[in-house]
Amino acid sequence: MSDNTNTPQPSGAVQTTGHAWDSDLQEYNNPLPRWWLWCFYGTVVFSILYWFIYPSWPVGNTWIKGFGTVEYTAVDKATGQEQGKEFRWNTRALLLEELGNAANDQQRKAMLAKVQAADYEQIAKDPKMMEFVRSVGKGLFGDNCAACHGRGGQGVVGMYPNLTDDDWLWGSSSDKIHETLVQGRKGFMPAFGQVLKPEQLDDVAEYVLTLSDEAPSSEDSERGKAIFQGQVGGCYYCHGADAKGIPSQGAANLTDKIWAIANVPAQKTLQDKKAVIKEFVAKGVNNTRVMPAWKDRLSPTDIKLLAVYVHQLGGAQ
Amino acid sequence: MALSSVLPAEQYNYGIVRKFTIMAMVWAVIGMSVGVYIASELAWPFLNFDIPALTFGRLRPVHTTLVIFGFGGSALFATSYYIVQRTCQARLAFPWLAEFTFWGWSGGVALGALTYVLGITQGREYAEFEWPLDIAITLVWVSYIVVYVETIRRRSQPHIYVANWFFMAFLLAVALLHIFNNLAIPVSLTKSYSLFAGVQDAMTQWWYGHNAVGFFLTAAFLGMMYYFVPKQAGRPVYSYRLSIIHFWALIFLYMWAGGHHLHWTALPDWVSTLSAAFSVLLLMPSWGGMINGIMTLSGAWDKLRSDPIMLFLITSLSFYGMSTFEGPLMSLKSVNALSHYTDWTIGHVHSGALGWVALVSFGSFYHLIPRLWDTRMYSQPLIYIHFWLATIGIVLYITSMWVAGIGQGLMLRSFDDYGNLAYTFIETVEFMHTPYIWRALGGAFFVAGVLVMVYNMYMTIQSTRREQAAIEAKLAAKLAKA
Repeated sequence: MSDNTNTPQPSGAVQTTGHAWDSDLQEYNNPLPRWWLWCFYGTVVFSILYWFIYPSWPVGNTWIKGFGTVEYTAVDKATGQEQGKEFRWNTRALLLEELGNAANDQQRKAMLAKVQAADYEQIAKDPKMMEFVRSVGKGLFGDNCAACHGRGGQGVVGMYPNLTDDDWLWGSSSDKIHETLVQGRKGFMPAFGQVLKPEQLDDVAEYVLTLSDEAPSSEDSERGKAIFQGQVGGCYYCHGADAKGIPSQGAANLTDKIWAIANVPAQKTLQDKKAVIKEFVAKGVNNTRVMPAWKDRLSPTDIKLLAVYVHQLGGAQ
Repeated sequence: MALSSVLPAEQYNYGIVRKFTIMAMVWAVIGMSVGVYIASELAWPFLNFDIPALTFGRLRPVHTTLVIFGFGGSALFATSYYIVQRTCQARLAFPWLAEFTFWGWSGGVALGALTYVLGITQGREYAEFEWPLDIAITLVWVSYIVVYVETIRRRSQPHIYVANWFFMAFLLAVALLHIFNNLAIPVSLTKSYSLFAGVQDAMTQWWYGHNAVGFFLTAAFLGMMYYFVPKQAGRPVYSYRLSIIHFWALIFLYMWAGGHHLHWTALPDWVSTLSAAFSVLLLMPSWGGMINGIMTLSGAWDKLRSDPIMLFLITSLSFYGMSTFEGPLMSLKSVNALSHYTDWTIGHVHSGALGWVALVSFGSFYHLIPRLWDTRMYSQPLIYIHFWLATIGIVLYITSMWVAGIGQGLMLRSFDDYGNLAYTFIETVEFMHTPYIWRALGGAFFVAGVLVMVYNMYMTIQSTRREQAAIEAKLAAKLAKA
């Protein structure tokens, strides 16, 4: 094999290694580029320093801890007082340090303590506290509630209640909102499809539409009223004789123009409006309107902050 | 040369190289199109159409598997079988076993993609194949090693060319990684549980994942580079010494760096530090390959003006240098705190995958195809068009992911006057919508380039067939006269 075929080089140039493959593949014997070598040494020095500062090599059952330290404040278990501590570098200590040293952390802690101590009325009256609630609440609401209720709390008709209007199924006082958050809610309405005949369902739907002036009073609606207010339908048990709803039952107010379940405003004709109401009266509501309980997922403080935040979205009393 | 009177096409087994070359392009078209589709899903989620098989979660491993193992793997099979024969001056050993590697590999990749669509997966990134396929792949891989090493053993050259070192390191490391990462207890034909648990499992997964990048997508493609760059440039490799030093440094250091994928997790702090430092140590050894490739062209820079293939190869080395600089930077704990879990990582991977892996493969194929089919490329201008489509695509992709990733990273760590988080998660998602559109567009540019290449390749092969037919017709006519 003739694998020592040097291609002719210009005079003074670096020689090849003298090997050749595949007829013309050769290699120059250039030295390592200086800058490359020094940069490589540089990374070696960097790594050694890095290993000295941070925990690094494993040795036996333990590891080299490194010279780096972290200072943080922590509550002493014995005395209950906050104490400055210094510890060798590790990610947990670093987290505690960052939690304690954030630029506005002292202010945040002070405001948090103030909100914790105050009742709903006091918070609502204090613009400073409300500003703080809006700051925390945006994140809390955005990460936990917005998936269903929407970023601004506008909800989805038929699925998730709108939190910005003054129509509240379960009550709109801060205490009630707090209760809703803590224990969750489960909307229920019995199905009347088997109880009422189709024409009776028609009449009830007609009556319900007259309550919010969607339809004029008629013979049909009068028959519906009798069913609603009488023992045949018994709707008044939950919705009330005035049809304004009973918050303790989570029953909707039927006299305003706000619709939580049947999407009446989206229907153009009276016939369609009647149809969507009829559908819900016939089928009822079961297991489709569930608000989860947050007591095991959010801290009491977070729930309190959220209650205030939701309350101030608008509409609540 | 003893065999110089024999045509290379007869001296060497080109059939297997042709098959893998064609298959690589088939996988490229499918795999990259799936990539564009899932990128579009992220920008316009309605494209899920509420069909589970079409969702991002199912199609993402289809994309990565088809592109890395389908396209990248087939390109490596093709070029390594070509290089080992030509640099050893020996015909490929055990042709039937080489044939088995083709059908086994292509079948494995196809079945893998099919099972992911059906929701059958190990859930290990870049190793989603369930255990029966893992065993099949192991058999194929061992066959690959046997064919390759035996061919080298039968070489009629005293020295082993540098490209072959890289390929052998890749063969050995991938076997090791594949076997240990996939140790699992099967509970049914389509389900298994990893032998490792918790952070050890994560560590094993990223030891595999990072070295899949290191040995599959770096070392092996450097092997490709070490043959095709000096061949296409017609010049000797810049430095033999550099090739030795950076080879050993690279394969020694890569194995330690996987932990940097798990910074700020349950991973022990010392493992984090160690892997970050080894990643920084990797910078110069990685650059050794870039320097050796680019400097090989030194003195013949004018080729960049006249040779589109050289343009592909040199640009790929530039992207290689850029992403191997970006990698150690991102592996530092403080930088990682910003970049981790954001699209910066996706951008980084694609600057390597599109910029380095795909471009060096395309360049090598443009060199390879005329030699495999003993003809010339159908169109030189189409190679230029491919180059520019690819480059525009990569730049759009990387820059949009920098914007999306760094932007989201900064949003997630910004606080308001009270020290509360300034943004909710969904706000960061809304912010990324526009960069996501640009990313999908970049991907579409890249796929368009690949389609141009496939057309060029198809016309080239067709023209060979026509020439062949013309010659045969002439011969037949002569014979009929006589």
